[in-house]
Amino acid sequence: MKDFLEMRNIVKRFPGVVANNRVNLTIRAGEIHALLGENGAGKSTLMQILYGFHSMDSGEIRMDGKQIRLDSPKDAIALGIGMVHQEFMLVRPFTVVENTVLGMREGRGPLLDLEQASRKLQELSNRHGLALDPAARVGSLPIGVQQRVEILKLLYRDASLLILDEPTAVLTPQEKDQLFAILRKLKQDGRSVVIVTHKLKEIMECADRVTVMRDGQVVATREVRETSEHELTRLMVGRDVNLRAIKPERKPGAAVLQVKDLRVEDESGREKVCGLSLEVHAGEILGVAGVDGNGQSELAEALLHLRRIEGGQVIVNGADVTSRSVAEHRAGGISYVPADRRRVGSVPEMSVADNAILGQQRKYVRGLFRDLDEARKSAEKLTARFGIRGSGIDQGAGKLSGGNLQKLILGREILRGSAVLVVEQPTRGLDVGAVESVWQELIRARQEGKAILLISAELDELLNLADRIAVMFEGRIMGIVDAVAASVEVIGLMMAGIRPAGAANTGATMKEAPSGETV
Amino acid sequence: MARLFERRLVPADSPAAIMATTSAAFLAAMLAAAFLFVSYDASPFQAYYALFHEPFATLRGFGYSLVRASPLALIALGTIVSWRSGFSYLGFEGCFVVGAAAAGWVALLTAQGAAIGPIPFILFLPLAILAAYLAGGAWAGIVGLVRARLGGNEVLISLMSNYVAIFILQYLVSGPLRAPGSLPESRLFPKGSWLPFILPGTRAHAGILIAIAAAGIVWVLLKKMPLGYEFIVTGFSPSAARYAGIDVGRRLLLASFFAGGLGGVAGLTEALGSQHRLMDGISGGVGFVGIVVALLARLNPLAVIPTALLYGGMSVGADAMQRRASIPSSITFILQSLAVLLVLAFDVLRYYKINFDFRRGTPSSTAPQVSE
Ligand SMILES: Nc1ncnc2c1ncn2[C@@H]1O[C@H](COP(=O)(O)OP(=O)(O)OP(=O)(O)O)[C@@H](O)[C@H]1O
Ligand SMILES: [Mg+2]
Repeated sequence: MKDFLEMRNIVKRFPGVVANNRVNLTIRAGEIHALLGENGAGKSTLMQILYGFHSMDSGEIRMDGKQIRLDSPKDAIALGIGMVHQEFMLVRPFTVVENTVLGMREGRGPLLDLEQASRKLQELSNRHGLALDPAARVGSLPIGVQQRVEILKLLYRDASLLILDEPTAVLTPQEKDQLFAILRKLKQDGRSVVIVTHKLKEIMECADRVTVMRDGQVVATREVRETSEHELTRLMVGRDVNLRAIKPERKPGAAVLQVKDLRVEDESGREKVCGLSLEVHAGEILGVAGVDGNGQSELAEALLHLRRIEGGQVIVNGADVTSRSVAEHRAGGISYVPADRRRVGSVPEMSVADNAILGQQRKYVRGLFRDLDEARKSAEKLTARFGIRGSGIDQGAGKLSGGNLQKLILGREILRGSAVLVVEQPTRGLDVGAVESVWQELIRARQEGKAILLISAELDELLNLADRIAVMFEGRIMGIVDAVAASVEVIGLMMAGIRPAGAANTGATMKEAPSGETV
Repeated sequence: MARLFERRLVPADSPAAIMATTSAAFLAAMLAAAFLFVSYDASPFQAYYALFHEPFATLRGFGYSLVRASPLALIALGTIVSWRSGFSYLGFEGCFVVGAAAAGWVALLTAQGAAIGPIPFILFLPLAILAAYLAGGAWAGIVGLVRARLGGNEVLISLMSNYVAIFILQYLVSGPLRAPGSLPESRLFPKGSWLPFILPGTRAHAGILIAIAAAGIVWVLLKKMPLGYEFIVTGFSPSAARYAGIDVGRRLLLASFFAGGLGGVAGLTEALGSQHRLMDGISGGVGFVGIVVALLARLNPLAVIPTALLYGGMSVGADAMQRRASIPSSITFILQSLAVLLVLAFDVLRYYKINFDFRRGTPSSTAPQVSE
C-alpha cells in the first residue's frame, strides 16, 4: 500500500501549551488509521490542522508526494479531505439535504437545486448502505443517524480521506457496528479513514494501523495485527492501566434516594418516564443501563427538577423533595453530572475558575461580594486532585480538551459533598487513564457513603462499578440485576425490551431489599 | 508555512488588542470621512480641528460634552447589564422618557405651594433618583416579565414600547402638566430641584458624577457580586444557568429592571440637569445612541465613560463645525456611524496575528525546536 498523505514535523502552539510537537503521521490509501492518545494529547488539534481549521506553526503536509497548503476547510475539501468533528456541526433546523449542500454550490445559477442534490444523496446512501431520508429535519434525528448525515456529507463531496473525531462516543452498540461496516466499505473503495478514539477494543476491531500520541508528540505507529490493547495502553499512558475497578465490599446503608412511580414528559408531551420506581442506598452505586433515548436523561433531569415532574415522588433521606427547585436541590442533597458537558454542565466562555463554582456561586461569598480568592483556591484544588490538564484556571473552560472538561465537572460535583450523586455518561470521550481515575473517584464517593445513580451507555462501566444494574426500556425499568451475577446477554435482551424469564417480577416497582434480583 | 498574517482560531481579547483595533477603526473612519469635506472646499485638517477643538479644548465646549455624555453613559450601562444577561433590550428611549417624566413630576411637586413643597436638595435628589429608577425599571421590567413568563420576543416588544412612552410624555406635556403658553411643555422646575452645575462658567452638571458612580456600581455588580456572576452565566448559556440552580426567568426580570432603571436615571440627568422642564421630544434618540456607545465600549462598564465623552463631544463639535465652517453637522453623524461600523468590522482583525519572523519560518528542515 502506498502512502497517500504525509504530515511532517507539525508544530502547533497554543498559549501555554504545545499541542503538537514535531508530529509525523502518514496515511496510506485504503486504510483505516486510528489515532489514540490521552485527553489533551493533541489529536483533535492535529486533525483540525489537516482539515485546514487551524494553521500550523511549522511543518509540512504532502499528498501523493506533493506539498499542499491548507488555509481553510475549503482548501481541504477541494483536496478531498473531510472531517466529522468531535462536536457535530450540523444545522439542526435544516433538513438532511440542506445540511449536505450547505457551503456548496450545486447546479447552475444562484439558486440551489435541492431536487438534484436530493437525488444524488439518495443514490449515495443506497450505494453505501446508509439508510437516510434526505427530507428529514436533522434536529429530530437520533445521534447515530446525524452522524450518518455527517459522513454522507463527506461522501457527497467525494472525500478520499475521511477524518472522524471520536465518532463512537455517542453511539449505541448497534449504531457502532453499522458505522464500522460503513468504514470497511469505504476502505474497499480505496478511501482512507482516520478515526480518533479512546476505545482500544474498537481499534483492534476495525483499524489497520494505529498512531499513539502523548503530550503533543507521536510515541509510536503500529500495525494493529502486531500490537495488543496492553501495549497500546502502555504507549499511551506510560504505564499499565488495569481497567477493572476494585470495589471494596460494602454493606449498603439506608435508602437515601427513593423514587416512586415517577412520570416525566419530554418537550412534545410524550411520556418518557412512565411510572418508574427505584431506590439507591448509602454507599451503593445503582447503574442504569439502556439504549440512549429510553428516558434515562429525562429521569436524571427530573430528579434535579430541571424537568417538570408529572407524577410520583422523589424522596431524599426520608424527606419528600419532589417539588423542590433546582437551587434547593443544589443547596441540599443532590449533585448532578449532566451528559451535555458544553451546553449544560459548563459555560465554555467563562474561565475554569468560574466554572469550578458553577452551581455554588452563592457559597463563595464574603459579605456582599464574591470570594474570588476562595473560589480560585478551590479551583486549584480541583484541578490538582482530578489532574485537569490545561494552561491554568484562568483559561477559558471551552479550551480544555473534552476529557479534561469532564473531569472538571465531575470533580466539582463530587467535591460538593451531597448525599446523592446523579452521574450521566461520566466517561464519554475519556481516555483509559482518565476513565480509571473517574472510576476511582466514583468508588471513593461510594466508600464515603454517597448514594450514586450512574446512568451509562457503557455496559463495561456498569458491570465494573455498579452494585446493581437497572435496565431501562421505553421509560420503564425492565428489571434490576445484581452486577456480580449479571450476564451481558440478559442485560442486552432487557435493553431491547425483552424481559427474560426469571426477571419477570422485578417490573416497574422495586420494593424489596437492596440486593435486588439475581438472574 | 509561516505567513505575515496568520489566522487565529479565537480572537485576541487582551485590552491592548482591543484598544489597537478600535483606534485603527477610528482612524480609518476619519480618513474615509475626510473625503466628504473636500466637496465643501474645506480642509479636512481644519474641519477635524473644529470638530475636536471645541468639545475637548475649550472649557465651555467641554462642559457641553459632559452634558451630552451623562445620559449616553447611563444608557450604555443599562445596555451592558441587560445584554450581558442575555436580554436584548432596545427600549431605552422609553425608559429615558418615563424616567425624565417621573423625575420631573417629583421636581414639580417640590415647587412652592405644590403637594410636597420645597425640600432640601439632599432629600430631593434621592427621592427623584428613586422615582426615575423605579419608573425606568418598571418600564423595562414589563418587557422582562413578558419574556420570562410568556417567552415573547423582547426586541420587538421593547422597540414598540418606546413609542408608547413617547406618546405618554406627549400627553402629559400637552395635558395635565402643560404650562400656560403655546408650547407643549411643563413649567420650569423650581431652581432647588436642578442638578448643581459643577464647572463654573459651563453648563456641566452633576449628571456626569451620577454616571461615573453608576459605572462603578455596574462594574462591581458584574465583576464582584454573585448576582452579576449569575447574570453573566444566564447571558452565556440559559441551560447551564438552569443547571446551576439559577432561576433564569427571575434573573431576566431583575436584569431588565436594573437596566431600565439606569435608562430612567439617564432621563433624570437630562430633565433636571439640562432642560429643567419636561417637553415633547426630550429624548431625541439618546436611547439608541447609548446602545451604540455600549457596543463601542465593548460592553465594558469602565470603558463607557470615555466612550460616551468622545461620542457626546463629537456631536458638540459637529455643531461648532457647522457654525464656524458651515459644514453640515450631518457629516459628523456619517463619521460617527462609520466609526461604529468600522469598529465592529475591524473585529475581524483580532482573528489575525502578525508574524514578524515570517521570512525565517520556511517549512520543513528549519522548523523550530520546541521544548516545553
Ligand atoms: N483553541 C485552543 N486554544 C488554546 N488551547 C487549546 C485550544 N484547543 C486545544 N487547546 C489545548 O491543546 C491541547 C490539545 O488539545 P486537543 O483538543 O487537540 O486534545 P485531544 O487529544 O483531542 O483531547 P480529547 O481526547 O480530550 O479530545 C490541550 O491542552 C488543549 O487544552
Ligand atoms: Mg479531541
